[in-house]
Amino acid sequence: MSLAYDVIPVTIVTGFLGSGKSTLLADVLKGEAARDTAVLVNEFGEVGLDHLLIGEVDAQTVLLDNGCVCCAIRGELKDALAALFSRRARGEVPPFSRVVLETTGLATPAPIVATLLGDRIVSSHYSIAAIVTVVDAVNAGQQRMRHPEWLAQVTAADRIVISKADLAGDACVLEKTLAQLNPAARIAWRTNDADASIVLDEAANAHDFADFVRRAGMREHDARGEVENPLARLNATPGHREGLEALNAFCIEFDAPLDWPVFTLWLTLLLNRHGDNILRVKGILALTGVAQPVVVHAVHHLVHPVLHLDAWADEGARRSRLVFIAQGLTRETVADSYRRLCRHLRTAETVD
Amino acid sequence: MCGMCGLLGGGRHWSNTVAAGEGASARQQRYVQVAHANRVLEGFRLKLVDFHGQSFVLSSQTGAQVIVEDFMQVWKAAEGMLGRPLDPLTLFDDDDDDDDDAEDAEEAHA
Repeated sequence: MSLAYDVIPVTIVTGFLGSGKSTLLADVLKGEAARDTAVLVNEFGEVGLDHLLIGEVDAQTVLLDNGCVCCAIRGELKDALAALFSRRARGEVPPFSRVVLETTGLATPAPIVATLLGDRIVSSHYSIAAIVTVVDAVNAGQQRMRHPEWLAQVTAADRIVISKADLAGDACVLEKTLAQLNPAARIAWRTNDADASIVLDEAANAHDFADFVRRAGMREHDARGEVENPLARLNATPGHREGLEALNAFCIEFDAPLDWPVFTLWLTLLLNRHGDNILRVKGILALTGVAQPVVVHAVHHLVHPVLHLDAWADEGARRSRLVFIAQGLTRETVADSYRRLCRHLRTAETVD
Repeated sequence: MCGMCGLLGGGRHWSNTVAAGEGASARQQRYVQVAHANRVLEGFRLKLVDFHGQSFVLSSQTGAQVIVEDFMQVWKAAEGMLGRPLDPLTLFDDDDDDDDDAEDAEEAHA
């Protein structure tokens, strides 16, 4: 079935205040590769600065005049996206084929994702291509300590871009920490010759997933003690370190193919009760009776539309893997709950 | 709500997606999901039925009924009716105990 109207991919670019989101966009969204891109920017604080920087981009730019996407919001981001789409349909703006949404540095991504997935009008016309988070290598430690938004932005990312690495001494530690906080994200370094793909690439392609599975596997390797805990080397206050340690990224593997109806019940049960504490779920599933891998993404209570990839990158690795980034949950309790639900259903089925 | 038929719709929820396999049928999958959900809910004396493939009706033994759009809302509504959380992390712990009891009994018997 093909749709009679276009669904436009949206890349959400987030990152803490001053991390270099606008600079990144202004740099990479030049020239041919970034044609047909509409950029949505927020002005915040010392207004107009972002506008000036983005003003150089030769693409369609629309400004939101309200303050913060995160808190001002829902209604207004929704209106901006809907208005942009209808102007495109009426031919008032060039027919762009993708949108880049730059959030303010103080935005947590979840409400924005909620608007894009949950709003009937917006979700019919837009889909989320990727969440890109820019991390400031110089100030990362301090920002993490003081601002919970930083962590929300990092854990929600499909792709993390480390900026100002040349100014920071021990950026490798930062990279390890980020990989541990969010094993599901690809980490890239911001370089001068970066092209538009660092922002515009879609998140969920098979290659990306093979890579993510490898990283998730690697992390388990690390957990056996080969690498020191990078959190130990950070200047976090004890209280904050506790908070970080409560945050747990883990990967659950299932050898046998999953039964989709059972899986949907289990994940909805889990997200309904623990969605507040589950910052991110990203997984690739092998389902009973289905040859293609299925990709599931969730941020808190929200699950993105399920994707079907064309084929397994490696036939031998046909196993379901789910990566969770969660507070106060452990791999064992979550894996056990699935096992128990399956067993309960099996038992009840035989009784029926 | 669907403008053509007046149905309340939760049909677009991710849990209503059909896995693209041979012989995949949205309707059949929905019935399987509802049957499974009832195996969870029957312990709490709640019952779920499909409503035109778009919504669900959740009802209790006291006659309370509510229309819900998707499974996220099914569990939320069920928690509302029960007045306590449905936590998958602790749900069916008893089954474990039962099994342990059974095993203990077997061991004792042996």
